Amino acid sequence: MTTTETSTYTCRFCRLPSDASGTSCPNCGAPVDVKSVVSDSGWQEQPAVKDMARIQFGQSTCQIEGTYVPTADFGLAGDDSIYFSHHCVLWTEPTVQMTAMPMAGGWNRVRAGLPLVMLEARGPGHIALSDDAPGEVVAIPIQHGHSVWVREHRFLAATGNVNYTWQQSGIWITTGAGNDQETHFPLGMFIDIFHAEGGPGLLLLHSPGNMFIRDLRQGETICIQPSSLVYKDPTVGMQLHLEYPNAGAMNFGWHSAFSYRQVWLRMWGPGRVAVQSVFERPENSGQITSHSPATRTVW
Amino acid sequence: MVLPSRDMDRIECQWCKAQNDSGQTTCGTCGAPLDARNLVSDSGWKEAPRLKDMTEFKFSNSTCQVEGELVPVAEINLAQGDSVFFEHHVLLWKDEAAPLSAMSLGGGMKRMLGGMPMVISIAHGPGRVAFSRDASGEVVVLPLHPSMELDVREHAFLVASHSISYSFERIKGMTNVLHGEGMYLDRFVTTGEQGILLLHGYGNVFQRTLGEGEKILVEPGGFLYKDSSVQMNTVQQNVKTGLMRHGMYLAEMTGPGRVGIQSMYVHHHSE
Repeated sequence: MTTTETSTYTCRFCRLPSDASGTSCPNCGAPVDVKSVVSDSGWQEQPAVKDMARIQFGQSTCQIEGTYVPTADFGLAGDDSIYFSHHCVLWTEPTVQMTAMPMAGGWNRVRAGLPLVMLEARGPGHIALSDDAPGEVVAIPIQHGHSVWVREHRFLAATGNVNYTWQQSGIWITTGAGNDQETHFPLGMFIDIFHAEGGPGLLLLHSPGNMFIRDLRQGETICIQPSSLVYKDPTVGMQLHLEYPNAGAMNFGWHSAFSYRQVWLRMWGPGRVAVQSVFERPENSGQITSHSPATRTVW
Repeated sequence: MVLPSRDMDRIECQWCKAQNDSGQTTCGTCGAPLDARNLVSDSGWKEAPRLKDMTEFKFSNSTCQVEGELVPVAEINLAQGDSVFFEHHVLLWKDEAAPLSAMSLGGGMKRMLGGMPMVISIAHGPGRVAFSRDASGEVVVLPLHPSMELDVREHAFLVASHSISYSFERIKGMTNVLHGEGMYLDRFVTTGEQGILLLHGYGNVFQRTLGEGEKILVEPGGFLYKDSSVQMNTVQQNVKTGLMRHGMYLAEMTGPGRVGIQSMYVHHHSE
């Protein structure tokens, strides 16, 4: 917590100022009374939102309940709305109105395993959402005119004034040849983009496991497991990095081609990167025959 | 349980309402911490008490100790004459000498098709037996007072004491935790004697007490248990999802009575 003489502080997680009277940040729910936990390598651990912490948006509130698989319990006021994927609904009061918000590019979304329809909920009333894995609910307030890029399937909910689009991630590799050729998307086929229009908005993500953030300086680079990315600032660049370790006597033929290789997501600043501690094991696939732009190291 | 003589020396458990001696830090009947704040959300859901590691509580002449916090284990030290019943695949370990027997159930083929075990196993005292399910979550301890009736979703029941009678029914049109249509409800009933029921809730567990006629809509996969006085119906929402324009169904719960939910569940498929 960074305190000033006027009893305001800037939350180190959502980077927004507010008064220092509460025990948790009113914008993102992060506790304010904990010490900054930063690893020697510079990763800052995002502390879990305290059980029953409240986040304010518009005239409404969001209360985070539970610690293993937390739920986001929205108390929606009359004119406020949120949208979310239909499979995240845990319970709702009958007074909440739910309507479908169709998505363009339906066929591509189906191929990518993304929901075809988002639901929009309007108050008054309570509605609660949760994802189906142990981890953390992360609240990201988005300032007017700002954007956040999120890896697919991490989205939990957003307030009605946050615009949602998606685009091809542009991160892919192909393996095999001829009829056996396969295209893989280590980061997912699409990336979700959330942009606050007409005022500040609130975005909620679900991060399986623990989440860590790092603010990269201009030109600073980091390699991460592609499936561990949770979100990033739009200013952070990314591309593939292929690494072929020296395997000594085994450094020939198929061993050098794919058995020991590492497929990284190389990211560079300036901007914030967030990773989760649970990620998918890299696919055991054949030799890479083509790929999206990538750097390459053969040790 | 021995009750102290003076009212001011008693602490009422906020979870099961049992009276405890003022010197205790956990409830002797359900293991809930007595020195922790009752956590209730603005919307009225009470969080199930997080049992401290190695918490011990008593039922009949036996004791139960809950060990671990991520995937908790319920370890039961059965006294002579006491017994507990359970689905055989939740048995983690047992004393070699602790006898086992089987409770035969009707509707075996239907249960098999529904992914439910055909036989319920019984462990008899004296001896120790331990139980766990295979996912992170919480053990929920529900003492059942005489003449209580509780309905529990399939695949959530961990273990129950011998004084509780068991039956089951199929609810049509409710999404199964695995797939397909229909959901089995395990029904636990006490008659003249108190019993104890342990459930495994996936993720976090919350409970809300509905008033007469009060309604709440719950994702069927999130439903965990309810008093039998709570009516459960499937209601279709006015939205279509997926490429095939599937309807969205929620379970409408109507009070009076308690409803328990879990925060982790296998959700609807997106396609």
